[in-house]
Amino acid sequence: MGDEPQTTALEVRELTRAFGVRRALDGVSFELPPYAFLSIFGPNGAGKTTLVKVLTTLLNPTSGNAKVLGLDVVADAVEMRKRIGLISHNPLLYPDLTAEENLRFFSEMYDVPDARGRVAELLEAVELDHRRLDLTRTFSRGMLQRLSIARALLHRPEVIFLDEPYSGLDPHAMDILDGLIAQIRHEHTFVMISHDLDKGLELCSHALILARGRIVMYEPREAIDDAAFRETYRSTVGMGVA
Amino acid sequence: MASASMRQFKAMLRKDVVMELRTKEMLMSMGLYSLLTMVVYFVALSQAGAGFDPRDIAAGLLWLAFIFTSMLGLNRSLVHEKDQGCLEALLLSPVDRPVIYFAKVTGNLLFLLIVEALTIPVFAFLFLQGETIDLRTMALIPLVLVAGSIGIAGVGTLLATMSVNTSGKDFVLAMLFIPLIYPLLLGAVMATGAAIVGTPEALGVFWTGMAWVIGYDVIMLLASYGLYEFIVGA
Repeated sequence: MGDEPQTTALEVRELTRAFGVRRALDGVSFELPPYAFLSIFGPNGAGKTTLVKVLTTLLNPTSGNAKVLGLDVVADAVEMRKRIGLISHNPLLYPDLTAEENLRFFSEMYDVPDARGRVAELLEAVELDHRRLDLTRTFSRGMLQRLSIARALLHRPEVIFLDEPYSGLDPHAMDILDGLIAQIRHEHTFVMISHDLDKGLELCSHALILARGRIVMYEPREAIDDAAFRETYRSTVGMGVA
Repeated sequence: MASASMRQFKAMLRKDVVMELRTKEMLMSMGLYSLLTMVVYFVALSQAGAGFDPRDIAAGLLWLAFIFTSMLGLNRSLVHEKDQGCLEALLLSPVDRPVIYFAKVTGNLLFLLIVEALTIPVFAFLFLQGETIDLRTMALIPLVLVAGSIGIAGVGTLLATMSVNTSGKDFVLAMLFIPLIYPLLLGAVMATGAAIVGTPEALGVFWTGMAWVIGYDVIMLLASYGLYEFIVGA
């Protein structure tokens, strides 16, 4: 790879992931340029979370392959994990550690340089510095999600995956998340799963609709007619689970 | 790389210890369960006749208690990781899977050894009071406790990782764990029993049992090391 500029942030080829006889992903192929914002839509059971799990190395593909920043999700998994982050609707934090302890722990997992400074900087960015010594089990849903954002950004990932990040957030937490995304929007590639069409379309540079493990539509934002897109989305939601 | 893995290993172990010291969930539940088992044994055997020598079955009773106690702790240790998706967060980080495995094994081993250290005096008080025992061979018991507990923690951590995502995780863990731990149980009971009996010929039996346990540990830890990545990524 060397120092050559990356031409694609994501490269997915005939990606299939089966659970027994059921194919959660069935021959998915697409490419995403660097610094793009991809919104993935689809009904429940469409394969959105499975796709993100494969792209974040949490699940191995059954067949096909995927590369993130030119790194294969299976062969280069450890190297890739240093360069990606995940913000999920699940906070991915230890409830019996304080906010600061959680971030310090994950700093060590990612070998973050000047961890103390980075943790303080992020706690301030997500407006939780005043609660840094409190156990996260005492946090509200919105506070947990803000801390989860800090955890995901600790190691300055180049590609950020967001799995329904707005789910369950209060308006203040949504504003903070919007603000953080806006701040780093042009320096990172984003992949977001969302059920919120308005929010997904507002943020994205590319949109993808997945149903029954297959791509129904994949277009850059400028090529999307909102009304036609909504109609396609409504019809895919009617397709139900894979 | 090796030093980064060691740092990550220490951080994971420290995290488990800090969380346990805060909640005391594992130590309390395992400790109480183990002590209650001793009381149940005591009541159950209280009507045994005058010719009954508790030393004959002491090792079996002790290891049965440790096996069941460990299952309680193993499940809890992985449930902590599953809460709020913490295991997923660990698996997302650039940590070699075996480092995660060995950190969990070490944590589970530590807590199991603490519970065993609390249980042994109670056991000795209830069952071995007034019995003829050789303190020199009794001093060998910590060896078999450590070796046996390494096997329990090693196999148990792997199986708990497999079962934690299933709906009946306690049942699934027991169904997998008991048959797999059988060879270890055999060796550990043999060695512990020999140490309690304490005759010169029992020393040979002790070392045979220890060889059995250590062989089991080496084989199962290597197998678990090889399988862990597959299990968490499957």
